[in-house]
Amino acid sequence: MKRLNRLILFIPLILLVSCTDVLNIKPVSDISVNSFWTSENDARAGLNGMYVRFRDQAAYNLFWWGEGRSETLTYGLQAPEGRERYFNNNLDPTNAGPNWKGLYTVVHDANLILKYVPDIEFKNGDEKNSIMAQAHAMRAFVYFIMARTWGGVPLRTEPTEGYDPQTTFKKRASVEDVFKLIKDDIKQSLDLFPDKSISDRSKFSAPAVNALKANVYLWTGKRMGGGQSDFNTALNAINEVQKADVALLPTFADVFDFNNKKNKEILFSVHFERFESGSNYGDQIYIRGDQIPNETNQETKDALGLGGGLNRVSPSETVRDQYTDQDKRKDVTFTEIYKYNTNPPTYYASVVNKFDGMIEDGARHFVSDLILYRYADVLLMKAEAENALGQDPTPELNQVRNRAGLNDYSGPTDQASLDDAILKERLLELAFEGKRWWDLVRFGKAFDLVPSLQNRKGKDYLLLWPISEETISLNSKIEQNPGY
Amino acid sequence: MKRLLRYILLFFITVTFIPIAHAQERTIHGVVKAKDTGETLPGVNILVKGTNQGTSTNTDGEFQISVSNGETLVFSAVGFKKHQVQITDQKTLNIQMEPAVGQLEEMVVIGYGEQSRNTLTTSASKLDTKVLDNVTLANPMSALEGNISGLRVQTTSGQPGEAPNIVLRGGSSITNPEGANPLYIVDGVIRQNLNDLNPDNIASMQVLKDAAATAIYGARASNGVIIVTTKTGQPGDTKIEYKYSLGVSQLQQKMDIVSAHDYVYYGRLGMAATAEQYPQFSSRLDMPIGFGIGNDMTKNTYFTPQYLGSGESVPGGWQSMPDPLDSSKTIIYKNTDWQDVLFRPAITHNNYISVSGGGTKARFDAGIGYLTNQGIAISTGYDRLTTHLNADLQVLDNLRVFGKVNFSNSSTNRVYSTSEIFRRSLSLPPTAKYKFQDGTYAPGQNISMGNPKYYLPKLDREDSRNKLTLAFNADWSILPNKLSFQPSASLYMNDYIRNSFNEAYQSGSNFVDSRNAEGYHSLYWQRQADGVFTYHDTYGRYNNVQLKVGGSYYDRQIYNLDAQGKGAASDKIPTLNAAAEPTDVSSSTSKMVIAGYFGRLTYDYNKKYLLAASLRMDGASNFGQNNHWGYFPGVSAGWNIHNEPFWKPMLPVVDRLKLRASYGVTGNNSGISDYHAQGEYRVGYKYEGSSAILNQRMANPNLKWERTATMDAGVDLGLFDSRLTFLFDYYYRETSNILWDLRLPHSTGFSSIKTNLATLANRGYELEMKTDLIRKRNLVWNASFNVSYNQNKIMKLPENDNKNNRIGGIYIYDPRKGDYVWAGGYQEGGTIGQMYAYQQKYIYPTDKAAQKGPTDMLVNSPSHQKGGGDVAWLDVDNNGVIDSRDQVYQGNSIPPWTGGFRTNVTYKGVGLTVAMDYAVGHTIYNWTRAKQNGQLQGDIAPSSDILRSWQHQGDKTDVARYYWADQFWKQNIWRGNSYYYEKGDYLALREISLSYVLPQRWVGMFGVQQLKTYVSGRNLHYFTAYRGLLPEQGGTDSGRYPNPRTFTFGVNISF
Repeated sequence: MKRLNRLILFIPLILLVSCTDVLNIKPVSDISVNSFWTSENDARAGLNGMYVRFRDQAAYNLFWWGEGRSETLTYGLQAPEGRERYFNNNLDPTNAGPNWKGLYTVVHDANLILKYVPDIEFKNGDEKNSIMAQAHAMRAFVYFIMARTWGGVPLRTEPTEGYDPQTTFKKRASVEDVFKLIKDDIKQSLDLFPDKSISDRSKFSAPAVNALKANVYLWTGKRMGGGQSDFNTALNAINEVQKADVALLPTFADVFDFNNKKNKEILFSVHFERFESGSNYGDQIYIRGDQIPNETNQETKDALGLGGGLNRVSPSETVRDQYTDQDKRKDVTFTEIYKYNTNPPTYYASVVNKFDGMIEDGARHFVSDLILYRYADVLLMKAEAENALGQDPTPELNQVRNRAGLNDYSGPTDQASLDDAILKERLLELAFEGKRWWDLVRFGKAFDLVPSLQNRKGKDYLLLWPISEETISLNSKIEQNPGY
Repeated sequence: MKRLLRYILLFFITVTFIPIAHAQERTIHGVVKAKDTGETLPGVNILVKGTNQGTSTNTDGEFQISVSNGETLVFSAVGFKKHQVQITDQKTLNIQMEPAVGQLEEMVVIGYGEQSRNTLTTSASKLDTKVLDNVTLANPMSALEGNISGLRVQTTSGQPGEAPNIVLRGGSSITNPEGANPLYIVDGVIRQNLNDLNPDNIASMQVLKDAAATAIYGARASNGVIIVTTKTGQPGDTKIEYKYSLGVSQLQQKMDIVSAHDYVYYGRLGMAATAEQYPQFSSRLDMPIGFGIGNDMTKNTYFTPQYLGSGESVPGGWQSMPDPLDSSKTIIYKNTDWQDVLFRPAITHNNYISVSGGGTKARFDAGIGYLTNQGIAISTGYDRLTTHLNADLQVLDNLRVFGKVNFSNSSTNRVYSTSEIFRRSLSLPPTAKYKFQDGTYAPGQNISMGNPKYYLPKLDREDSRNKLTLAFNADWSILPNKLSFQPSASLYMNDYIRNSFNEAYQSGSNFVDSRNAEGYHSLYWQRQADGVFTYHDTYGRYNNVQLKVGGSYYDRQIYNLDAQGKGAASDKIPTLNAAAEPTDVSSSTSKMVIAGYFGRLTYDYNKKYLLAASLRMDGASNFGQNNHWGYFPGVSAGWNIHNEPFWKPMLPVVDRLKLRASYGVTGNNSGISDYHAQGEYRVGYKYEGSSAILNQRMANPNLKWERTATMDAGVDLGLFDSRLTFLFDYYYRETSNILWDLRLPHSTGFSSIKTNLATLANRGYELEMKTDLIRKRNLVWNASFNVSYNQNKIMKLPENDNKNNRIGGIYIYDPRKGDYVWAGGYQEGGTIGQMYAYQQKYIYPTDKAAQKGPTDMLVNSPSHQKGGGDVAWLDVDNNGVIDSRDQVYQGNSIPPWTGGFRTNVTYKGVGLTVAMDYAVGHTIYNWTRAKQNGQLQGDIAPSSDILRSWQHQGDKTDVARYYWADQFWKQNIWRGNSYYYEKGDYLALREISLSYVLPQRWVGMFGVQQLKTYVSGRNLHYFTAYRGLLPEQGGTDSGRYPNPRTFTFGVNISF
């Protein structure tokens, strides 16, 4: 009995001991903000985190921004669920396509690295510089996406680490200021890369950043009045790329072979893998198995293999008709499905093959790596720069053509015709790789070549995207692009 | 040290025991009868006042007890007023108990104690546990539906065992108004919910509503406190009770879906309609799909429609029709009603046996219950095994200890996705094959819109939950009648295991044989210790004072382990040991601590003037470093006017009149994770196989307690000898420092940050009315009614440069203001839950009429051309253009009015109960029906609305032309059409039950004390205009498990 009494007496004593100390507990299974960015392992994991969030954007959005509005796409077999607004070019603020929120998560990750990694001690200083260089490159790349899509956007160069009514709500910067940051980041990135080779084709390297640099300067040369000086910068950057371990693969199909990821043609691709990432846009441009008609021929069935994903959009007639039969890129790029129970056979649908993933467990998984820069693209950029500078672009143009089984370019050689030839070659070479819309804008041909824009010449505001109503509703300082 | 402690103890024990030096004791006999009927009363509790000594009457109402002269005996029994007798020199006692009138006499459980309703100054509602008598509830919370004013209880799913949604007085959350959970306390032990608690164990269930009542619980009491006490043994003969019930449940009402004939007919016309704009889709008419004729009898196609070949005859069980697009051809098809496939009559068995009893020294109550509850959807169900043992022991004359063990083991079978089963599978075209010709089940369209008979058994989800509560507490009377100490300690564990396995299955053309398997284990354990000192005394003659002081410690840890794999060789083994390849393995742990101190002073002057004040301070580990602690005061006062000498002569009809008012502050730390304030870098990601870490959350060291201040003013009124009683409350609650996700500008890279920057107000009225219409010896008829009204208003939002600091919302034209405004979203001065959509005026009868209408920017073709059968939208701004600015307010997702009605009639042994409840004022977006009528999801079956859809020039109707994939072109439905915003108002006929207590003379000879049988019907009918399956919840209905109608037959026997 006494024992019991003693026990009871203990309880209030225990209670009196309790104080704030017991309330200060640290997480075990996740990492608090204060305890990260302390070691080189943190820096590596943080860098990978930046790529993971970039991959989320590259999976679908980057394709819609870069190609959705071009002439390459049309309706598919399945409800497009709003994607038709891209190729019909009738976006508006309530149907504005993917907004920039996800891209700024990547900007935030890059900003965190740029803020914290300098204070981390590394055994190997080169690695630290490489991480910093990649963060600069990523920030440049993401702002480049945004500048081409919306024009000026809010400039964030510091990570978001709290809420504060003064700094949380930012206005859009001018597009010039955005490009200033992009070019500055590219410069810093190239200065920081400890060596000029490619160590990992799914991460930024000096050659990849030079490809980006060429891309950026071609854009500002043509769209922002940069002119000759920018074209020269672009050409020099490409010359740097060509010093690296990159080449055209002899066979076009090998570039996209699932089992040949990170091949020599690749400068920078986004890595996808089952159980590591989700799928990518390949699954919206393929075909659900039960929609493959019985009436098609065996050759088509073999080309398609197991169905998967959905045919929400599909390659347009406009683009399909531009491939000649001897062009080896045709069958690698898309498959047309005909029904052979009529004479002549009736066209049924078509699918994109470039990023058709792999088959496992009875299903198709769209986890092909997405290529952001490859050597053929770089060669065509070189041709573009040369032509803009009045130099002969045909050697590069022919390199790409010959690989595709086509003869040397034999058309007119005035600057405008060559530009048209380069733009067309870019279409045939890079279709469905998420570049076409920006190519059209850069070459100033969107209103000529996109059927849904052909009767709207002069409405140049359409070259930018509307800013989504949601984005504006969350920050009244954001102004809509004029025209929308 | 040890010795010192021993001395201290000795001292305490001596001091404590001296006053109980016993005077002369003797034994006294007596009998207890009811004053009005004269019947003897068994089971009356008799206690020597100020001690824990006592006994109870036997079946003949007789008792004997040892007492000393000068002591007082207290007699108490349910339904009777307490009776006190001071012992002078009586030898026998003949006690007459007066029936308790009305509920003002009742004892109400309050924080850390009990109080008479008569002196209570706060707002509390008690559930009449008769509600639990004649129904079998898989979840005790369902009993609250319609029975407690101020509490909105909504059944959101018919899944057995599932808890209803409970919101007190409008809740305290702006962003998640449905997710404000009350604090649940079962026998002093905090729980996450009341799931798996056996209603048969429940002795009482109460809801503390105003902050003055709940402030003593401080932390997490903002959404009210639901206090449950379980049954304890009573002194007297050992009582054995056995209960059994059998229930049969069925679907209340079928979803309105067309027949196969109508589906094919309208489906083909609808496809042809869409092909007017998109000819490329017309090939679907020939494909092997729901209305396509590309099907055959083989296993290669999953639908039945096909042309009848020349010379062939319609197979048995099939039907035929001319092709509406080419009447020279005949389509044959087979009809399947997928609702008949998915739903079944479901059986419920409930068994419960309990033994209770004891003497004055020790009492116990032990029981075991077993419930198997089938769901009306095939493969769903709920099984529950519960056991409990509650015991208490008088260890010393002044020390009683209590031990409670409560265990439950439950398992739930759910469908793998509510929206896929109750929206998509039910919308599977009726032409889909149910079985192939070889008798095996066909898969339907694919896994997300499949044949439930095929998929449900293949996608196996089994779980098991073991909950254990061990509670130990004591009541130590240090100074008899004055000072006591109640310590308690408890452990609550919730052990959850789930195994999921996908057998190989066919989904569309894919044969998926990855055989994904998952094993998941979660252990939740909670330790709690409280100690309370209670002091009460009477100063002078009338000044009654009670003081409580105590402390409380609570911690809770969670450990999760999850493993996933794939690649098993066969379907035989559903567990991970058969998986060839692991795909994900993860474990995590998390902890939260709350420590608190509290005190309460209650005072009354002769039960006339009542006053109570309390203060709690609580520290929670999940707040910012400088903001762990919060202070929660409460104060309340009341005036029993009927106890004033002037009252009786003035208004004798009113025998009870109490005015009361209270103010209090409570806290909330839910809605933020355990380490929320510290920010988070989350692991578990990979890039190129290397681990990646992402900054998922910013740190916010300023995070602090959310506080809800409640002002409550109430009146308790009793009329005509308390035959008619009212409880009325008005309240104003203001929740400030709301813990909520402040949505951030997109350029921050974050969706939101948790802040304390918002304030929400709720204001409302509650009325509970009870009346005894007939109060005769053999005939009792009473009825009760309650109604609650609540309205919320957003008071403050974080500064963000927008007008009214608006967050989100849509930009529309406001005709009253004559200008464009931002509406909806969250705005200061606005309310939550607003819904907007385009307003359908009528359907254009002809192409000509349509062309005269405004230009509709949402029509998805370059010319935005419209035709007959398209919706004529309200052009709110009258600018000749329909765009997003033409949306119109459609209603609110939250019902402001809720309440219930209940009546019982008892004549001799026969009892009849009718209960109804209602909610008024909420709007439901019937997304399920919109998806069906617009074929927004592949090929799905529409509702019968389509039968009166526009078809020919000149048709006048309210249903737009039927298009395949409406979102492609006209968007008559896809954009959000007012036609699908329906009023959710309902009156539920919740229960009718009839019970019969067999006369004692029939059953007594078998040793049976009481035998009761009953039949009841639950969820009998919703009187509602809502056309979906479940009207109880506002907002978007994207497929809901319907609430079944259940008939139960039961028998209760006690020995």
